Amino acid sequence: MERDTRPLSPSLQIYRPQLTSVLSFGHRITGIALSVGTVGLVVWLIAAAAGPHAYSTVQAFMRSWLGFVLLFGWSFSFFFHLCNGIRHLAWDAGYGFELRTIYASGWAVVAASAFLTAAAWVAGLFAVG
Amino acid sequence: MSKHRMRTPLSRARGLGSAKHGVDHWWIQRATAVALVPLTVWFVASLIVIAGSDYNAVMIWLRSPLVTISMALLLVALFYHMALGLQVVAEDYIHSDRVKIPIVLAMRFTCFALAAAGVYAIFRIAFVK
Amino acid sequence: MLVRSSDQLPRTTVLKRFPVPRNFEVSPESRIEAGDTWHAPADATRVKRFEIYRYDPDSGRNPRIDTFEIDLNTCGPMVLDVLIKIKNEIDPTLTFRRSCREGVCGSCSMNIDGTNWLACTRFVSDTAEPATIYPLNRLRVIKDLVPDLTHLLAQYELIEPWLQSATPAPEKERIQSPDDRGKVDGLYECILCFCCTSGCPSHWWNGDRFLGPAVLLQAYRWLIDSRDEAAGDRLDNLEDPFRLYRCHTILNCTRTCPKGLNPGKAIASIKRMMVERRS
Repeated sequence: MERDTRPLSPSLQIYRPQLTSVLSFGHRITGIALSVGTVGLVVWLIAAAAGPHAYSTVQAFMRSWLGFVLLFGWSFSFFFHLCNGIRHLAWDAGYGFELRTIYASGWAVVAASAFLTAAAWVAGLFAVG
Repeated sequence: MSKHRMRTPLSRARGLGSAKHGVDHWWIQRATAVALVPLTVWFVASLIVIAGSDYNAVMIWLRSPLVTISMALLLVALFYHMALGLQVVAEDYIHSDRVKIPIVLAMRFTCFALAAAGVYAIFRIAFVK
Repeated sequence: MLVRSSDQLPRTTVLKRFPVPRNFEVSPESRIEAGDTWHAPADATRVKRFEIYRYDPDSGRNPRIDTFEIDLNTCGPMVLDVLIKIKNEIDPTLTFRRSCREGVCGSCSMNIDGTNWLACTRFVSDTAEPATIYPLNRLRVIKDLVPDLTHLLAQYELIEPWLQSATPAPEKERIQSPDDRGKVDGLYECILCFCCTSGCPSHWWNGDRFLGPAVLLQAYRWLIDSRDEAAGDRLDNLEDPFRLYRCHTILNCTRTCPKGLNPGKAIASIKRMMVERRS
């Protein structure tokens, strides 16, 4: 007999996006975005160690529009991954598995991430003056 | 003749048997996550506070013993958490061992190198004038 | 008792599907083509359209979507009633599994409007217009809405879902306190419909090695059965980066279970047992 030639029923192509799968995918994507961003963190630290000239180059990039977009994306990823991560830790401890709680905590994570990102940027722009 | 048709469904499901490990990876991922909650919140809050400062102020902040230690702890926990998380992502989506193992190794080495570079930068800032 | 809805939570549709092309990452033999439309009789009043996945292994053609217009005034209230009406009156080749028609056998599990449920307990009034009916996800299709469950059942056999006791059987029953018996509540009621497993993205990508929520729920059912003596061996059998630890608490399983069970919670309990036996 040849290999299985029967069709595979569709999955990702037709499955309904739900808060459960969407937030889980968001947790993964923000995790990957943060991982890429840590390269920037290490670059920043090395620039600080290297001296004022290297440091100001990095700072100038942060202030450019590309740096701003990356920083904003990274900050939202951070707050989302943090809030959803705490939700994950609660699940690992055994709490919050009732369906209504899953949905309530999910929406709370979305709201908290948006709020914290906005608050952090407002505070940061305030500090910069 | 496809090898799939020759094996019983149970033998295909059983595969090579249970690896009898996996809880370590899970536990360390959660332990580093718990450590990262306060460390990252402290770090992001500090970034906001020093947002408008000049190079010297940032260096003075980085040089203080508490900040040096916290940054080192942050980098170690962060890169460990990141390496484990990215390994899980690679295992999820890459099924060929030939591709997966080099990629997982490369990610681990990169995380280790970035952690080493970051910790070196922090200690250099702290100890070298 | 007036049952208002046949889903666990109210539905607000933000997105009907993930924003990927319809035939995204689909092998040539799985590509879905357009199919036939069967119109309702001219005097029909309450007409609703159903788009149903069809595949005929004898035709040599690819799967397709057939659209059926159904007069709801001459049909029962459940999606299964619609399928039976189509088979009786319109297209007798429509093939699907069914048995009890009351939500206890698990035969008629399928993907309705993007989520997995039992056709016999899904009200037609809870479906969209047009309603879309697909077989359970990412399984080989035998015909129309009938998926091949062989691998899923083999994974179930793998966890040895029977009482294992080295102690010789007592003369009468094995004694169990009401509390101990209560631990199995929420686990034994699983009807193995596999709605949860076929809705789990981790099982989509790693279904050959990841056991999936249905099987892991049953594994936990045997782990916490106080009469069972093989918990250590069961945990050894499960402790594997793929068999158990492909679960990333996505929780599509708990969302979709048509019996209201909680596989996600059971799997989290297994993971806690894994840690408990090492500390």
